[in-house]
Amino acid sequence: MSQRPVWAWLAVLVLAVLVLSACAAPAAPQAETGGGAAPEEVAPAEAPGPEEAQAEPIRIGGIHPLTGGLAADGIQMDNAIRMAIQELNEAGGVLGGRTFEYLSADSTGSAEVGQTEAERLVNQGAVALICCFQSSVTSNVAAIAERSSVPLVIDVAVADAILQQGYRYVFRLQPNATAMGVYGAQYLRELADALGATVQTAAYMYDGTTGYGDSVRAAFARKAPEVGIELVAEVGYDPFGVADLTTELTRIDQLAPDVLLVTGYYNDGLLIARNAEDVDLDVKLVYGVAQGTYDQPQFVEDAGDLAECFLDSNYHWDASNPKALAVREKFQQQYGEPMRTSAVLAYQAMYIIADAIQRAGSAEPTAIRDALATTDYADHILPYPGPIQFDEAGENINARPVVMQVQDGRVVQVWPPAVAEAEPRMCVSWKQ
Amino acid sequence: MDRRLLGLFGGLALLALVGLGVGPTRIEAWFAANSVVLRQAMVTGLLIGGVYGLVAMGLTLIFGVLDIINFAHGALLTVGMYLTFLLYDRFGVDPYLAVPLVGAALFLFGGLVQRLIIHPARNAPPHNQLLLTLGLALFIENALLVAFTATPRAIRLPYERDPIGIGPLVVDFPLRIWGTTITLPKLAAFVFALLLTGALSLLLQHTDLGKAIRATAQDRVGARLVGVDIHRIHLVTFGLGTACVGAAAALVLPFLSVDPQVGNTFNITAFVIVVLGGMGSIPGALLGGLLIGLTQELSVVFAPGSTKLLGVFLVFILALLFRPQGLLGRRL
Repeated sequence: MSQRPVWAWLAVLVLAVLVLSACAAPAAPQAETGGGAAPEEVAPAEAPGPEEAQAEPIRIGGIHPLTGGLAADGIQMDNAIRMAIQELNEAGGVLGGRTFEYLSADSTGSAEVGQTEAERLVNQGAVALICCFQSSVTSNVAAIAERSSVPLVIDVAVADAILQQGYRYVFRLQPNATAMGVYGAQYLRELADALGATVQTAAYMYDGTTGYGDSVRAAFARKAPEVGIELVAEVGYDPFGVADLTTELTRIDQLAPDVLLVTGYYNDGLLIARNAEDVDLDVKLVYGVAQGTYDQPQFVEDAGDLAECFLDSNYHWDASNPKALAVREKFQQQYGEPMRTSAVLAYQAMYIIADAIQRAGSAEPTAIRDALATTDYADHILPYPGPIQFDEAGENINARPVVMQVQDGRVVQVWPPAVAEAEPRMCVSWKQ
Repeated sequence: MDRRLLGLFGGLALLALVGLGVGPTRIEAWFAANSVVLRQAMVTGLLIGGVYGLVAMGLTLIFGVLDIINFAHGALLTVGMYLTFLLYDRFGVDPYLAVPLVGAALFLFGGLVQRLIIHPARNAPPHNQLLLTLGLALFIENALLVAFTATPRAIRLPYERDPIGIGPLVVDFPLRIWGTTITLPKLAAFVFALLLTGALSLLLQHTDLGKAIRATAQDRVGARLVGVDIHRIHLVTFGLGTACVGAAAALVLPFLSVDPQVGNTFNITAFVIVVLGGMGSIPGALLGGLLIGLTQELSVVFAPGSTKLLGVFLVFILALLFRPQGLLGRRL
């Protein structure tokens, strides 16, 4: 009944321009499930035209946050599993020619949704699951996996408690919170000694609202006295509802610690870096412990020179391993974004499952579980001092963090020496 | 009423007792030890509070005139931040020059939303309208997720740390006064926010359009009787409300990274401010913004380890108990 005035169309135009110009950025093409069109001619291996009457594909389920605040990682992890499956299928699959089919699910970042999605995937015939990126979601999915006797390989989720329930069907690739905190403290001491720096006191800023931040902090705090580090302040904050941390950092500045420790997600980590510069925080090092910012190339993009010198003891791919570099290169070509560590772990998880199925000689969930328990996988692309092996509880016994540092605009591994790409530096960017 | 007053005095007495129990010397010592942090908290709180006030002003304006609780307010802030980011990233437009551009764009966008989505539902029950804006918020959030992915984006002003000359006076940034730090982006955001608040108040008080808006807020039927085009006023008011958010978006981008969810941070705070200041009150929104900014920073000092929202919601609950109409609770 009302005719649309001209300005209404103008507004549509503005919105359209906004959306379109954003889309002009490298968009991530969604690769299709299974061995769809290969982007380029990779050596077709020994995969001749397969018989049509092939056995049913092996279904693998993946649950990650594909929407919501953590979708940047979730979507990459989902794509990484697709990429691994595509490679495996192109190489002829497992068990003499059976291919994989990927069932993707969106946890939306919610534990309840993750749980129902896990049930759905199991009902649709998934024989193994990969998940979840968040400890809260993983706890629920692990319970479903155990109850349904379907093995779950956790790519990313840090809370210790997930594997303290006596589960038989759950395995974890990454270092847990205790390993993160304990090795974080130990590496800090080794690093300080190697640099000849006196490091006796530290202040800790951590995500105080999720189990992740608090459990890593607690593990670090338990180990700290043993390595001669006194925590003079432990400041929790809400990583998802914070617009400024100047006051908190002023408080820390008053205590004049040697090191600022940080455990949290990306946005808050960036905020801490900026606000620490604002208050001219007087510390010798800023050291992330399983922190989500200071080992990301994007941090360098966003913070520029400010990013220099930041350290982070975190999970990572093995930057000293050519195979890891090739995988990341391929991912970037295929999906247009640098592959994050979370995605590397998801990719690795898929190969661990394929290895277990091959060794089990069967795609039955219980058989896969038994094979997973005896995993001895040396050909991985993670910076661990040994093969991937799981203990009784399902923890990867060789899982370790590595310390990374931003040096001249690049994130490089600096500790331990076995996987170091460069010498660590003792500096703080705003003091240079 | 009596019981509430009794509760208030009882609470104060309890607080005094606790103070006496802790001992005046220890309290004094605490303040001495924390004086710099306290000052920094107040400075940061006020600076951030100015921006909160601007965001809340848009919300309260829309509520006052259209009687709609706009849950999409935070999402519109996110739209404004992305627009500012694009202008800066693609065309090198300074965020402060982008304030009027983004404000105008969001004015148009808000008008469009009002005409296409809110207006057709104007006779629906309030909860339907509320769900409508909630749906709009979810739609915008997810559309932004598709367009920009969840990867956060941030900008860093190249002149953020340059000294600025005002006549013969040269000011170094960040400003360091009395042990506190004031950065250029936050100071600029605060000053612009106050200016815009003032401009909007003037517009409402002294122009025909402003009078028509206030008349509509006071009595829709009466306004129509004296010849005010209600539909047009609704459209313009919604546009003005979203323009506030657009301006605020351009002002916060230099110190806050943007992702599709960032508006949620401001959404909750803005609602608390609107209720605290008095629903529909423009000066109330500014006052509420400054108070909530101060509260959230001071709560970090007094209750370290808590998140900033502890103090905010304490104030919120107290306001609802003792002054449910809000501090300046009177329609426009």
